[in-house]
Amino acid sequence: MKTKRPFQRVERMTPTMRVIHWVNVVAVVAAVVTGLYIAHPYYQTFMADPAVDKYVMAWNRLVHLFAAITVDITSIWVAYMYASGDRHKPWMKLIPSKENVVEFFEVVLNIFTFNRRKKFDTTHMDSFNAFWFALLHLLLVFMLLTGLQMYVQGLASGESSIGAWWPWILHVSTDWTLTVFGGNMGVRYAHHLGMWATVIWTMFHIYVQIWRTIFWQEGDIAIAFGGSKFPKKRRE
Amino acid sequence: MSVKREAVIKLFTAPNASVQTNRGDAYYADLYRRCEARLGELRAMAPKSRINLHEVLQDDGFDRRDFMKWASATTAMLMLPSSFTPLVAEAAELMNRVPVIWIELQDCAGNSEALLRSDGPKIDEIVLDIISLEFHETLMAPSGHQAEKQLEEAIEHFKGKYLLFVEGSIPVGEGREWCTIGASGETFEDHLLRLAKDAAAVVAVGSCATFGGVPAAAPNPTGAVGVMDVVKGKPIINIPACPANPANMVGVVLHFVLTGQIPELDALLRPKFAFGYRIHDNCERRAHFDAGEFVEEWGDVGAQNNFCLYKMGCKGPMTFNNCSIVRYNEGVNWPIGVGRGCIGCSEPDFWDKYAYERPMADAKLKAPFGGVEKSVDEFGLGMLAATAVGIGIHAAASAVIGKKSTECGEES
Repeated sequence: MKTKRPFQRVERMTPTMRVIHWVNVVAVVAAVVTGLYIAHPYYQTFMADPAVDKYVMAWNRLVHLFAAITVDITSIWVAYMYASGDRHKPWMKLIPSKENVVEFFEVVLNIFTFNRRKKFDTTHMDSFNAFWFALLHLLLVFMLLTGLQMYVQGLASGESSIGAWWPWILHVSTDWTLTVFGGNMGVRYAHHLGMWATVIWTMFHIYVQIWRTIFWQEGDIAIAFGGSKFPKKRRE
Repeated sequence: MSVKREAVIKLFTAPNASVQTNRGDAYYADLYRRCEARLGELRAMAPKSRINLHEVLQDDGFDRRDFMKWASATTAMLMLPSSFTPLVAEAAELMNRVPVIWIELQDCAGNSEALLRSDGPKIDEIVLDIISLEFHETLMAPSGHQAEKQLEEAIEHFKGKYLLFVEGSIPVGEGREWCTIGASGETFEDHLLRLAKDAAAVVAVGSCATFGGVPAAAPNPTGAVGVMDVVKGKPIINIPACPANPANMVGVVLHFVLTGQIPELDALLRPKFAFGYRIHDNCERRAHFDAGEFVEEWGDVGAQNNFCLYKMGCKGPMTFNNCSIVRYNEGVNWPIGVGRGCIGCSEPDFWDKYAYERPMADAKLKAPFGGVEKSVDEFGLGMLAATAVGIGIHAAASAVIGKKSTECGEES
């Protein structure tokens, strides 16, 4: 006879993590919307409006750069949490140990057997998700470096409103992208394609979380809102 | 291994691209003394040509005042304090002391044309007439064996002293044997290497000589490259653009005459005084860019109102050059001024990566899986669509054969 097991509440995201998550969502959406405009202005302004009232490209660039700075700051937070040995210890899930690799492929099998096989602990963050999140963080660092390279091209005098150290540090940290991606235009291609990669990442991320919620019946989607998911208690 | 190491070191030690416009009084006082000494030495030397700058200027209708105005403008262009103006004027007079050998490789002679435009030359071009041009295939009277003899004599006579100006790219691929010079059938590469060996410095003029330019555009049938990919162990100055601006050629020669050294260069070996800023930074239509006022198609109301050409593919925001300040043809006009976008002609690979007359997002990229060219956005959207299709298939399959964990928690 079937026995009902009670649900348990497992906290997966602290309030800080949730704030970072949603700040990132808003910033990335804003960056994509404004970035597409900067790459190819896709709406027009009214001829009759004086230029000072419009300032459309400038606003787009302003929002884009503020979104970028926001993501940069949350990235520093995230990097800190990777390293600080937070109780979820995401970085430990990234070590290619036997345990993690097995878990990684078990998650993939779970997806492609359409949840017929589920041989890993779903209460913790699994190594597949940890890998997928790390991919985003790397992608954002990539966007940060290529973006700042384009930005510093406008600071050719070596001065900026906050001092000469700022363009200097940008040159030191991003000039290598010119060599790697083939000049100013190569960096632009790379940054633009990085945007599409970010959109693809987001699409897959949302799909997997919704899919898990439906098929695992553990309320995974609630993690990003309430911070907790609700798996059944394990049988002793 | 060591080659790899060199490459890594080079990657992370690229010269800083920022332009220092003020280096402090002590620096300039010292530089002034060194320039004076250098000019003194040059004045003691016999002029290589008997052309007198002031006579030529007078013949063309320029008086002393015009010349001094030009000298102060050129001093500013070289990013020197105004106290250097008399030195710059004197350096222009002494330019006939510096021997120049000019060779042409794979090119269209456009830079020679820019240099020599006889119709209403401005002082820049006249000053370039004064340089002691020892050899220039297109301009000189002798040809054939006579010309070659003159070249050999010039190399011998001015060993280690002459500036070698190179115009045109160098084929080093499979097509290298198609391009030879002289009766002995010397390839362009060998010719360049031989002349560069005894030069004081090599000045690559124009986009072809600097980065390969148009001959190096895909599929680059001759394996064309720029001077800096062939010549090693010599100071190289790149003056790209198609054609290179005579003002910048004069600037480089003047700097050499003044100081005996090459000007400060960026990572692509371009003089920072000319290539330190983007066209965009000093563009007269920049305000329209910020306002979001773009030309949508040729001849529309925006075009009539001098709106920004970004949507017509202007590459000003990613092109380093001073044409928005110096302009062309006696400072009369420049591409943006006549209502067409910048094609990034002073950047590497400009023909493939810049000159496509549409915004970057619409640029054609070679797809990694074949020769079909895709725009950057099409490629990104294609990847996005592929992901969406994959997700759709998985979602449909999940709906049909997926196994939901049961409510009661029994998994088998």
